[in-house]
Amino acid sequence: MNKMQGATLLKYKNFRYLKATSALILVAITAYALINPAGGESYGGTWLGYTLGTLSTLIMLLLMWYGVTKRRITGAPDRRDARRQSAPAGQERRKPHTKSRGMNGATLQEWLSAHVYLGASLVVLVTLHTGFHFGLNVHTLAYALMLLVITSGLYGLSVYLNYPRLITLNMGEETLEDLMLKINELDELARTRALGLPDEINSLIAKVRNETRIGGTLLQQLSGKQYNCPTSFGVEQLRILSEKYNRGEQPKIMRDLYSLLLRKEKLVLRARTEVMLKARMECWLYLHAPLGIALLAALTAHIVSIFFYW
Amino acid sequence: MISCLLIHVSRSPQGLPVCKDSLISGATIEIGRGAACKIHLLDHRVSQLHALIVRSENGALFINGEKNVTLKINGYIAQHAALIPGTQIEIGPYLLIVEPLAGGYDLILSIELIHPLNHTDAAKPDIPLTVAALGLSKRKFGFSLAAVILFFFLFLPMLPHFSGALNKWQASLPLTLTGAWSPEPLAGGHRMLDAKCSSCHQKPFTAISDEICTGCHKQVGRHLTKEALQDKTFHTMRCTNCHIDHKGAEQLLLHDSSKCVSCHAEIKHTLADSQLGNVSDFATGHPPFRLSLFKGDQLIRLRQDDKAGLVENSGLKYSHQVHLAKEGISTPQGDTVMRCQDCHKLEESGRHFEAMTMKNTCQQSGCHALDFTEPVEGLAPHGSEHAVMDRLREFYINWLTSAPENACQNNADTPSMLACANELADKNAAATLFRTRPLSKKDRLECGECHEIKPSGEKDVPWKVTPVRINRDWQPGAVFNHAKHETMKCTDCHDKLNSKLSADIAIPAITKCRECHSGNRPAKGMVTSGCDSCHRFHQPVK
Repeated sequence: MNKMQGATLLKYKNFRYLKATSALILVAITAYALINPAGGESYGGTWLGYTLGTLSTLIMLLLMWYGVTKRRITGAPDRRDARRQSAPAGQERRKPHTKSRGMNGATLQEWLSAHVYLGASLVVLVTLHTGFHFGLNVHTLAYALMLLVITSGLYGLSVYLNYPRLITLNMGEETLEDLMLKINELDELARTRALGLPDEINSLIAKVRNETRIGGTLLQQLSGKQYNCPTSFGVEQLRILSEKYNRGEQPKIMRDLYSLLLRKEKLVLRARTEVMLKARMECWLYLHAPLGIALLAALTAHIVSIFFYW
Repeated sequence: MISCLLIHVSRSPQGLPVCKDSLISGATIEIGRGAACKIHLLDHRVSQLHALIVRSENGALFINGEKNVTLKINGYIAQHAALIPGTQIEIGPYLLIVEPLAGGYDLILSIELIHPLNHTDAAKPDIPLTVAALGLSKRKFGFSLAAVILFFFLFLPMLPHFSGALNKWQASLPLTLTGAWSPEPLAGGHRMLDAKCSSCHQKPFTAISDEICTGCHKQVGRHLTKEALQDKTFHTMRCTNCHIDHKGAEQLLLHDSSKCVSCHAEIKHTLADSQLGNVSDFATGHPPFRLSLFKGDQLIRLRQDDKAGLVENSGLKYSHQVHLAKEGISTPQGDTVMRCQDCHKLEESGRHFEAMTMKNTCQQSGCHALDFTEPVEGLAPHGSEHAVMDRLREFYINWLTSAPENACQNNADTPSMLACANELADKNAAATLFRTRPLSKKDRLECGECHEIKPSGEKDVPWKVTPVRINRDWQPGAVFNHAKHETMKCTDCHDKLNSKLSADIAIPAITKCRECHSGNRPAKGMVTSGCDSCHRFHQPVK
């Protein structure tokens, strides 16, 4: 999704869902301000509290249904599809949904636009539902999980709006695979070029080749850096060692090696930036979706507890 | 001189060996990456000069590793080894095998590159480049979290409901199982129930019934006196409509005037013959206060706007103006400025004042000590007329006994001392204690100074003091806490500074209360006051 698509997402059909959710929030706040609850104290057990709670639950279920709809529209493999694909040969496999429209004919973009605005509106609706009563209990747990889900979602929205531009700026027309191939080529060139040089240089080149890391653990991906990067170290060392090896062909080879490692350093930086941006675009969903499921569980416990001990 | 046949082994795409021979010779044979090495292994994993093949004095061939490099001989790290057929030597990525001798060569070595460089080493396949490649599962993480939440926050809190023993046990834990469900702490008295939810929540998914409340709260007054009307009016109401728990330690009562107003705004609709006025809000829709006071022996209730009827008949003569004079009042201790609290002492409850008595209130400073002025000085008790006369007669008998010369000698009809004492007592009482008119403007009346005295028609005690009945509860239907109004002066609300008569009633009107108290809706600088600020729903249990 590029910037234009992101903007379209927010402006979908002339801000249809922004208007709808704004109206919803306005009505809720007005009702909260004007309706003096029994006893003058607002909480989830007043009729307005129950109304806001029911409305918020329905919105949450709708938002979670987006995950299902997204899979159907994009044809993303789910567990059932996986089972079907592993079915014995000869059995007909269901083709993934490739149509661009989901439930009620709404496009994925429309779903997402509604998902974003309705999700954000829950911050207001559910806070009013609580009547600003919080404690160490399952009710506040559900509220806290909801805030975490919304926060992660807003982060996701933010990266989807901004990062595609940064990725394009960083990569241009190239792909990460292209960069990796170029890095390999440079490594191989440096290796062969250094074979005639003393072991000290070869060990350095080998260290640059073997220990330079792109990607890695989640934190390494997210940071986009490698502590004491061997390539940068190699560039620096070559600059120092070039004064030492200055006999015959050595200066020329050292210059070549220095040039090769400089090029590699830039490529590694771009590759790590690519990995970092992609990781940041992906990682939020690893919180957003599981916390959404956890929220559904906490919400169930919240509702059951309320009516179990009515 | 060492002559060596070198067999270079490479592999075809099918994995079959392809051999290429070459002959090398020399006094020693150098193995390494350097161009000068006879066995030239062009790989960065091999040192420039890695090892040397030499002939020993007895003619045997050995391989010696150079300093700082290692050789792997037949799988073991070694620095030198004898080159006998079958010996396997690993140098960097290369494997050298000493082949059986043939053809007159001193040494036959086969060399194969067994660990070729992986050209995708930089993009190491085992290092993930994406979050997805980390193998994290959103579903597993999510469902694990959900399972933990459902177990700890749904299953465990629900369990105690089905087992009394478990319920009791978990309630004793520092962290109770049911605690996760409690929205807020229970109200004060209910905290003894602690975490035993089923004390009140006896049936799942069923609201708490009134019977559960009245099981403990056996004496709760009704709102209406008439039982049938009570049942008709409140048959849809439950205790929990107004008493909502889990709202914090201090709150159990719902302060909701709207429930009251739903009936009292048009009270005639609920009760056609009601004597009450309509009430919708203290600030804007509340009738003038009604005061309870005695008219004769009958307790009546009058609206405060009925000025003519608002006269207190306490049977006492009293001037607040005299007692509250700014310059003070003459007492045995000298001139004293009196305060309201000198006589009106608040009970500990803060709601009512202690009953005033002659002894505790009026005689506290010796101000109103009673005395006889004729024929000798003495003290009379403050009590009934009979008690006063008995005391007088007793006094005169004692006086005549101790001084017989004072007997009534000039009266032939009073032959006995007792008759004389009675005569003196009656005479003195008529002249002093029970006088109905002062002798002069400066003269003090004794009993009559404060009491109304009328003839009784009795021979023994011919005077009757009108009974004193000081009203203590002007608004029995309302709750007013004087202690909560201590920031005010008494006279800010009770206009008694200029009151000369005890008949004056100084209960403040509703307009005075409205100076500080708003109604149901909050107002800036005002105290929000709903119905239950002053009224109680339940009548007192008799």
